[in-house]
Amino acid sequence: MSALAKENPMKQFSKHSVSAQAMVDAFKRCGIDYVTTVPDMVQIALHQLLDSGESGLKVVHCTTEDQAIEVAGGLYAGGKNVAVIVQNQGLYAGINSLRALGLDSKVPLLFVIGQFGREFSNLGGNPRDSKRRVVFLLEPLLETLGVPYWRLEGPDDMGNVEAAWKASRERSGPAALIVGHFVGW
Amino acid sequence: MKTLDACKILDAHRDDAIVVCTMGAMNALDKLPLNPLTMACVPLMGGAASIGLGLALARPERKVFVFDGDASLLMELGGLVSISHARPKNLYHFVFNNSIQFAGLGNLETPGARSADLVAMAKACGFEAAQRIDALDDLESRLKGILAGPGPSFVEVVVEYDAPALGTENPAVEMTDERFTRMGDEIRRIRHHLGCDAAVAA
Repeated sequence: MSALAKENPMKQFSKHSVSAQAMVDAFKRCGIDYVTTVPDMVQIALHQLLDSGESGLKVVHCTTEDQAIEVAGGLYAGGKNVAVIVQNQGLYAGINSLRALGLDSKVPLLFVIGQFGREFSNLGGNPRDSKRRVVFLLEPLLETLGVPYWRLEGPDDMGNVEAAWKASRERSGPAALIVGHFVGW
Repeated sequence: MKTLDACKILDAHRDDAIVVCTMGAMNALDKLPLNPLTMACVPLMGGAASIGLGLALARPERKVFVFDGDASLLMELGGLVSISHARPKNLYHFVFNNSIQFAGLGNLETPGARSADLVAMAKACGFEAAQRIDALDDLESRLKGILAGPGPSFVEVVVEYDAPALGTENPAVEMTDERFTRMGDEIRRIRHHLGCDAAVAA
């Protein structure tokens, strides 16, 4: 372990993080112009960049995740391209809105879902092997809902942002990008 | 005040506004001539105001009306805060309050029907204007002024409800497939009417 890592154990996990700026750049390549959100703890760096006004993306802050999904539906109806940023708990809370707008109504929705609560010992491993229900239930739940998903486990996975976005457009429905660890500053 | 009569007045004043409707107001609007800029929020109780917020932000050049219900507003009450935080000047949120859930079907009292002050809630959340109207002639006379003012604006429209249709003589009602597909179809119709798909194709 490096001296820096000994000083701050968080540093040793940086290879599992992607930067907030890289995520914003990927969103822009997709043509995304709006983000709706209830903030997610593991994506705080991304939220800070978005809230700074320097990202070029507009942000709609909502008080619940179902609203974030519904506002995204309204923005789509009005011609905008939207990403919905929530954490795993928020996805669980918003399932009926996902069902109504994403699945029944076939509205293309990109969900960016942070794996809140994932133990560091699981980083680099399979999130399904996590000891925490809030983590290991996410992918099976998305499969039950018929929502395709891509993992974002480190910088090598950045292409998955565009893959998930493209899938949401092609299938006219929801697709998910699962952010496995804290986004970097 | 009958919901249908109130909807007729609002519909006559909409000009090129987009309307997101739900619950009893949706059933009433279904009896009026089709407008391609009307969409129903169904079956998604509680979602109308937030869908309206998204539309208002996406299309600031035109007004967006939300025709909500009292119980559906209460289901996502925090949406009032989300709306006031985003401050859409073109959003007009009409809540048809009959203090009843499943009005005309089962008529179950809405929680808070005798105590919750919806107008006070909207004001406290930071809406630009909030008022209660309980007579049809008041709605007619005050509407022009309401729409001339900035949003987000909240109007509680106090309406009557019909007798329950469900009972021993009529024990069940089936949902049609169309009830589960119309929201998406109407979203796509609005996008088409606004030229959104052409913009994407270009």
